[in-house]
Amino acid sequence: MEFDLSVITDHWRFLGSGILVTLALACLSGLTSVAVGLVLALVRMYGPSWLRPLIAFYVDSMRAIPVLVVLVWTFFALPIVAGITLPPFWAALLGLTLHLAAYAAEIVRAGVESVRRGQTRAALALGMSRAQILRRIVMPQAIVRMLPAFGSLLSVTIKDTAIASVIAVPELMRQSETVAGQSFEPIEVYTFAMLVYFLILFPVTRGVDRVYRRIAHLGRS
Amino acid sequence: MKFDWSVIWQYRDALAAGTATTFLLTIATMAIALPCGIVVAALRLYGIAPVRAVATAYVELFRNLPLILVVFWAFYVVPILIGVGLSPLATGLAALALNVTAYNAETFRAGINSIRRGQMEAAVALGMSRAQALRRVVLPQAGRRILPVLASTWVSLFKDTSLVSVIAVSELAYTAMQIRAQTFRVLEMLTAMAMIYWVLGYPQAKLVDWIQRRYAVTE
Amino acid sequence: MSAPSSPREMASAPLVLRYRDVIKRFGALQVLNGVSLDVHAGEVVCLIGPSGSGKSTLLRCTNGLETLDGGSIDFEGTTLPRDERGLRAMRARMGMVFQSFELFPHLTALANVAEGPRTVLRVAPEAADQRAAALLAKVGLAEKAGGYPSALSGGQQQRVAIARALAMEPDVMLFDEPTSALDPETIGEVLGVMKALADEGMTMVVVTHEMTFARRVADWVAVFDAGRIVEEGPPGQIFDAPVTERTRDFLSHLGWSG
Repeated sequence: MEFDLSVITDHWRFLGSGILVTLALACLSGLTSVAVGLVLALVRMYGPSWLRPLIAFYVDSMRAIPVLVVLVWTFFALPIVAGITLPPFWAALLGLTLHLAAYAAEIVRAGVESVRRGQTRAALALGMSRAQILRRIVMPQAIVRMLPAFGSLLSVTIKDTAIASVIAVPELMRQSETVAGQSFEPIEVYTFAMLVYFLILFPVTRGVDRVYRRIAHLGRS
Repeated sequence: MKFDWSVIWQYRDALAAGTATTFLLTIATMAIALPCGIVVAALRLYGIAPVRAVATAYVELFRNLPLILVVFWAFYVVPILIGVGLSPLATGLAALALNVTAYNAETFRAGINSIRRGQMEAAVALGMSRAQALRRVVLPQAGRRILPVLASTWVSLFKDTSLVSVIAVSELAYTAMQIRAQTFRVLEMLTAMAMIYWVLGYPQAKLVDWIQRRYAVTE
Repeated sequence: MSAPSSPREMASAPLVLRYRDVIKRFGALQVLNGVSLDVHAGEVVCLIGPSGSGKSTLLRCTNGLETLDGGSIDFEGTTLPRDERGLRAMRARMGMVFQSFELFPHLTALANVAEGPRTVLRVAPEAADQRAAALLAKVGLAEKAGGYPSALSGGQQQRVAIARALAMEPDVMLFDEPTSALDPETIGEVLGVMKALADEGMTMVVVTHEMTFARRVADWVAVFDAGRIVEEGPPGQIFDAPVTERTRDFLSHLGWSG
């Protein structure tokens, strides 16, 4: 089996732009889903009780529906229902946020609940208010404890951007498909894509592991 | 804009067939990925150094690749590698199995490692072989920790079968989108697709929650 | 009800805590069955008794971590309120030390001790840090000020916890089995700090299994059994000449030989 690298080098700009779009989509949807998930989790834990079942329903529903389905619906069906047509990148951002925020919300909730009750008792015994306890004692520890799960979610986010290729977002997967289709050299192109994804994802997981190992003691009460 | 929801009922047979294929893929993948995962985990834990390295490389590779890319890659490379073309279904199954085996291997490895080494030492000191000790002492205990994660992997797998739609495997997602293309009933079919996955997936997710509660380990 | 008690040394000092017929239930379980007890200023009151007899629960009711099902608790003449705001104000005047230390792991030892004054008393950060440093020196841990709890031994963590409670300048210190989770070697250093505190005149309520400590440091001992105080009196009476059968049983069970 011979490997013709020229197909990669000939299209490096095209493929390179795909990598940039992948990274941009991953970072943006990572940020938005964490932000939305954090708000949802806090509302669920400390907000009005009638909202709780609604949020729980949303979170559980996103665990049931595949990302592909959410993305396709956001791009093709939402315009029909809501009248607004989003360009592929923004539809993907919306769809990914919708899907991933549910997971982020669960991570935040689990992180906060994993902080020992004794910590809250000790802080109460000092005379702190509930808001002060959440802000100064519980959240700092919870954030440390959430780190591995969020690292995992970031990894999932990057992988899910590849699914956005299905709604024509020009990220790496889509660009690879185009080049592979035109050049009839799918093996080289897809192997290249696999290499790139691996080189992005592997350091992310390793990096999160490393950071967590150093700060884990800050969350261990 | 007029909506015609009856199209869902009209094509119920096709949708049912697609759903069946989804289940078939999930079950078949797990049937392969469970024993293979145990083998790979054992190789990583107890194999000689080069074997451990290869097993680790395999696991790390597939945990750090998007599944949709693996599906595509399998579609184009596997026929060349083994000389004969596989059906899309078999290719999709192969890609899913490769992927889930890697995750299962990690689950088994972490679960086994979480059992204190002293357990293995005590079993071996009694005269058991490594394999016996694994089977009779470590795995039963590790099982409690492993089961909830496997249940979670199952639900993820169920959803991931939708990705083999990109190589025209007639599971639920592909079927629904084909019907959409034929009938132009975009909103109806896409919503139906989401609803069917929801109806199938929601109880599974709840079951996973129950399993996690039931088998929660407190140290 | 408690057995007839010997004259009380500190009875003339002002009342810091008065428990009147305190009742507490957890579901169907009656944990406190009508407990009445007085704690005077400067007194060290030790609560002893079998596990599950309600001692720790009484302590947690004292600063409102648990709510009462009956009876009342008066702190410095005022009945313990039921609302969070009022409880918070009272909690700031009581110090509590937990069996599991409960230091805040994301803060250094110094920051742990300074946290109460900073956040609750609104003391300026530098002043809070100074107060914290002085207290850490007092419990013998000046050089550990910059360390995180994960780097400290159990005994060291508990001493920091005591300093953290003291930083609030409380009128009473509540100790909930402070040495039960410690290695035998480190128990001594914590009890030493507690004794020094007692010698300075701090009002203390201590739930403990350390009978030698109670015998030597307590001014008053209350013996608990099944949610009631079965006997109370000065340590001399309780340990050397107990009046009730229950107390004698408990002490002999512990192997106490005086």
